[in-house]
Amino acid sequence: MGLQEFQVIGRHLPTEHEPNPKIYRMRIFAPNEVVAKSRFWYFLRQLKKVKKASGEIIGVNVASDMGLLLILGPVGFFLFLRCWSSMARDYQIHEKKPLKVKNFGIWLRYDSRSGTHNMYKEFRDLSRADAVKSLYQDMAARHRARFRSIHILRVVEIEKGDDIRRPYIKQLLTPGLKFPLPHRVGKSRSTFVATRPTTF
Amino acid sequence: MARSKELVPGVGRFSRSGVFAKRALYKGQKKTDKPAAETPPEYIEKTIGGEKNGGKRLVPTSKAPRFYPAEDVRKPKKSRKAPQTSSLRSSITPGTVLILLAGRYRGKRVVFLKQLTSGLLLVTGPYKINGVPLRRVNQAYVIATSTRVDISGVSLDEKFNDSYFAKPSTKGSKSAEEEFFEEGKPKAKEAFPESKASDQKTIDGAVITAIKGTENLGKYLKASWGLSKGQFPHQLVF
Amino acid sequence: MSAKDSNFKRFVELGRVVLLKSGPSAGKIAVIAEIIDHNRAIVDGPTTGVPRQSFPYKHLTLTPLKLTGLPRAAGTGVVKKLVEKEQLTEKWEKSSWAQKRAAVEKRRSLNDFARFGVLLAKKSRRDQVRKAVKKAKKA
Repeated sequence: MGLQEFQVIGRHLPTEHEPNPKIYRMRIFAPNEVVAKSRFWYFLRQLKKVKKASGEIIGVNVASDMGLLLILGPVGFFLFLRCWSSMARDYQIHEKKPLKVKNFGIWLRYDSRSGTHNMYKEFRDLSRADAVKSLYQDMAARHRARFRSIHILRVVEIEKGDDIRRPYIKQLLTPGLKFPLPHRVGKSRSTFVATRPTTF
Repeated sequence: MARSKELVPGVGRFSRSGVFAKRALYKGQKKTDKPAAETPPEYIEKTIGGEKNGGKRLVPTSKAPRFYPAEDVRKPKKSRKAPQTSSLRSSITPGTVLILLAGRYRGKRVVFLKQLTSGLLLVTGPYKINGVPLRRVNQAYVIATSTRVDISGVSLDEKFNDSYFAKPSTKGSKSAEEEFFEEGKPKAKEAFPESKASDQKTIDGAVITAIKGTENLGKYLKASWGLSKGQFPHQLVF
Repeated sequence: MSAKDSNFKRFVELGRVVLLKSGPSAGKIAVIAEIIDHNRAIVDGPTTGVPRQSFPYKHLTLTPLKLTGLPRAAGTGVVKKLVEKEQLTEKWEKSSWAQKRAAVEKRRSLNDFARFGVLLAKKSRRDQVRKAVKKAKKA
């Protein structure tokens, strides 16, 4: 099951003190819309004095703008509402160029068994969502980290090859890259065969 | 009740009178008044001889049984379902070459002629080519190939029905002693009926002319079918 | 390691022609347009009806054929032009590998009667060969 990127928008409910509360927007990687909304409240609770009981989600959908947290004014809210009603009910953010190979740098924060760590990792993939998916796989493999203990802080496409820091991605950028596929064992039809398989 | 769907358990959508109106049973079936068949009288008066017997007596027309069964035996419910003729597989059409999978002629390739009312398939070898006579087979034990023989020129008589293939009823007139000593002795072979042999010939003649139109088709029908090593029927194209 | 002193003959590289082994375009050939990582590459087969897609090496086989001078991350149009210029599809179809595959495919699609025809043809070939051998031995 892959991940999808969602844009979740929400705000505090209007009160007498604050009839026009600020609107918050987040881009969240989640397997589905329900998890995306849940994660939105989880992060917003930590950042601002808004929680699910006293707030509302305005929309979960596609966006074109970048940025982790954007604060729109109250005027923007009405503009946005109009846009949203005309938008199709397609909740996830799609990759602009899904067939271009990109290098992504991902900043993350994760809770290990003994403390909290910040990390930077690089991934080579076709989309942001795929890169984040492989990040979760990588963290699970190397650190036994679960989904709940990882916060994705930033996902950035690295456009220049010189900006790549990690050698495991750098090695894939060498011009004229080529490598063999060693030890290819073909399927044999029978259990016992007279000849050994050729593996290269 | 079915009309009045339950809203919650025990409460229907319509009231009792509503259901009555919906069901419209009051309209009723139109009954035709048939004259009641005359029932024979239960008793008949008979004159009885003998002085002390009163001269006349009412005797029931049908006698009550003298014994009643000690236990009630339940009568099985009569089924009103009748077996239907199984539908023919879409891959089988008149003239299709079939591969028989069971029975005396398993492995033989035969030509399909028609489906009988019992659902069995009427096939022929033809007899001259591979020794399979006019015969009924179950379509479950058959592989239909995509090869077709053009049998539009073959006229099938109506007489080729299920009763044509029924066993002739044997006349059980032998004495028990005779039957006892017959065991072990070679049975006298009955001659194949002349009419059936000629039926076979007339049908096969037309089928064989159709077969001769295609090269190798006769040889194909003569050869029997089998699986060799590494062949699996579900992977083959027929 | 430089590929020069390698014993391997086929490499994952730009322009390498691959045979796809699974998925909707299984059995078709395509060209590696870009290497993603150690497990996947972007393959493209504009002349063989393979849409541009990411494909794992596990589900493809490298062929001895290669497009020369394919630039990095070349689009479908460039790949198509080069494939047509080098007549890659024709080269592939002429190779004994492709012909064998086609023959197997053909045999597999034969029906029972056609298989019987093959049996007869093989029989007659055997017969002719045997007779010719006998004749040659006598002489």
